[in-house]
Amino acid sequence: MNTWRRQASGNKVSRHTVLCGSQNIVLNGKVIVQSGAIIRGDLANVRTGRYCVISKNSVIRPPYKQFSKGIAFFPMHIGDHVFIGEGAVVSAATIGSYVYIGKNAIIGRRCTLKDCCVIEDGAVLPPETTVSSYMRYTAKGTIEGGQGNPYFVPAAMQDEMVGYTKSFYEHFVRTPAPAS
Amino acid sequence: MSFMQPIPVKYACSCGILNPINKLFFCRHCPKLRCGYCVCHEIESHFCSNCLENIPSSEARHKKNCCANCFDCPCCQHTLSARATTVAVVRKPDEAKDKEAQSGAGGESGSTTPLKPSSVPATKKMYYLSCLSCRWTTRDVGIPDQGVATGTWPDNECLYQLRFNSLLEYYQSVVLQEKQDRQEFLRRKSPKQHKFPSLTDRTGLTVSLIRRQIGWNEKTLPKSKPISISPTEATADVEQLPPDIFTEPLNLRQVTTIAQRLSQPRDQPTAVGNLYPQRRSLWIKRSLRCRQCEHNLIKPEFHPTSIKYRIQLFASHHVPEVVMVRCEQPLKSGQKNAIVVKITNPTMYDMTIRILDALPEEEEQLTTEMLQQACKIKEEAVTSSPLLRAAGITLTRQNSTREIKREVNELSNTLIEPLESEFVLSQRDDSKEFDEDIQARSEIEEPKFIVWRKGNKVLLRLQFTPEATSKISDEVVLSFYMQYTYVNTVANTTEKKEPTTQALYSRLFIQAGAIEKE
Repeated sequence: MNTWRRQASGNKVSRHTVLCGSQNIVLNGKVIVQSGAIIRGDLANVRTGRYCVISKNSVIRPPYKQFSKGIAFFPMHIGDHVFIGEGAVVSAATIGSYVYIGKNAIIGRRCTLKDCCVIEDGAVLPPETTVSSYMRYTAKGTIEGGQGNPYFVPAAMQDEMVGYTKSFYEHFVRTPAPAS
Repeated sequence: MSFMQPIPVKYACSCGILNPINKLFFCRHCPKLRCGYCVCHEIESHFCSNCLENIPSSEARHKKNCCANCFDCPCCQHTLSARATTVAVVRKPDEAKDKEAQSGAGGESGSTTPLKPSSVPATKKMYYLSCLSCRWTTRDVGIPDQGVATGTWPDNECLYQLRFNSLLEYYQSVVLQEKQDRQEFLRRKSPKQHKFPSLTDRTGLTVSLIRRQIGWNEKTLPKSKPISISPTEATADVEQLPPDIFTEPLNLRQVTTIAQRLSQPRDQPTAVGNLYPQRRSLWIKRSLRCRQCEHNLIKPEFHPTSIKYRIQLFASHHVPEVVMVRCEQPLKSGQKNAIVVKITNPTMYDMTIRILDALPEEEEQLTTEMLQQACKIKEEAVTSSPLLRAAGITLTRQNSTREIKREVNELSNTLIEPLESEFVLSQRDDSKEFDEDIQARSEIEEPKFIVWRKGNKVLLRLQFTPEATSKISDEVVLSFYMQYTYVNTVANTTEKKEPTTQALYSRLFIQAGAIEKE
């Protein structure tokens, strides 16, 4: 059985994923969604840019906000060349481009991740956190780095992420191999 | 991910520290590799990482490098967010009486008017700060709610604030006075030396002479005298400990942690009830500058949300990138082995690459000579440039120091067999990415060590033999020199404008893995 679906736009989506409300999910091309991933399009719109990688068992869940008259869900935007690690739970409001989210990271609701930031493996972001560009959110819960500081986020983060996500897409092999 | 994992290939920086290529910079003017330790770090701009507002450096200094709107949780140092609540406004008694009087006066309107005040809900939005990480709120410590969402939270004044301010004022005036004294002393000691004596000597007038002739007083500022302050006195009688400290059981939940105390340095509270929201400290964008030639290596754009650079000299844009692909056989001591590496040319010019096991002698001499020369130039520059002297005073800029050449420690235990011939690596061409397969070079006889080649990438097979004496689970570290031609488009000299081709050397170290069992 072919477990992978390749769309005309170049998206590669595993059949073992849960895509709720697929009419609300926009994958803008060359996006890989691996097995076990859950995208909750039924709550609100989810939009990703090009060359995103959504790894195994990760959960993409639009954020909600509590009002006095109940709760409301907000759409979620993900930029280009974003890597979301295995088992990550993402409920951010916006994710910029060239963002790396490590394994098992939890992004609380309505967080803002700006371009070129890094979330370490296992980091937990409380709700409504802003991680600005070239910052690294550590597993300890601290924010480090800044543009021009070479020790936390590489100065050429944009090039690194473009190279990484492109080569991830190009070298991606589906198993079992598609019946030709 | 190359930056999330330890990278086996390391480059020796010109200062002698090993770094992966993504942490290195390349100064085109020197031309040498530079790392974070051998460059000047300068503050490019201040910004708040929460509200992403750019703050000019003078304003940042005035605000003590804190954001005006954002607060940190005193409990867990996470950012606080404002929460809104609707509070029923209690009408003031006289206001209510007025209403009653009015309704009483206009008696005709009957039963409808007295109902009006109750039908209009008198509520007001009030805000408090809450930490979404540890659930601390400003209500926990009894700070009243505010009517405006941002910025109106008062600073907590501690007991010593007045004393601290007066001390600060005093020391500032002391510094000012010392500075004036020193200037006065220097002026008296040394006869005036103008930079351009011919300009003033022609008329025989100096600035002070002219001033005196016109009748103005001397240019010097009136001498400031330090304000007298009462010195602190040591006292022997200390308050006794309260008696209940021995009797009451200690509740550790009410005691602050060290981190909490240090985040509130002004009063360093010991009880949880005295925690107060702290203004969030600002972040900076840095620009990096080569210490030898003082050219910028990195200059980010001002805007906090911009990820672009005005100047970017990353090593990965100029130096061929070496990636370890695989080791051919399991590593065994004394047995010949081979490693496959991928080399990528990131530049827009073809490169000629040679793999060497040692630096040629004349090259080594040349580099040391050039270095010494550069140091000499540097010294002259330091003594003559007014820019640098100014930098010494303002302290906003690190002084550039002389570069001391350090030899790379012998970390490697295995040398790579040098390749017998050089090879050409073609330029980077982004359009090649979309081509299917180019076999343009296939008709040319490739050297034996080239495994595969496509565009600006090449796979090389390099041979080595781990030392026979190395034991099981010893790490095998390979080392070699890579000579590559670099086309420098920067004109170092004024005569030459066209790009020059230079042969540069890089020393590389590869962690090939550990010796396996027989």
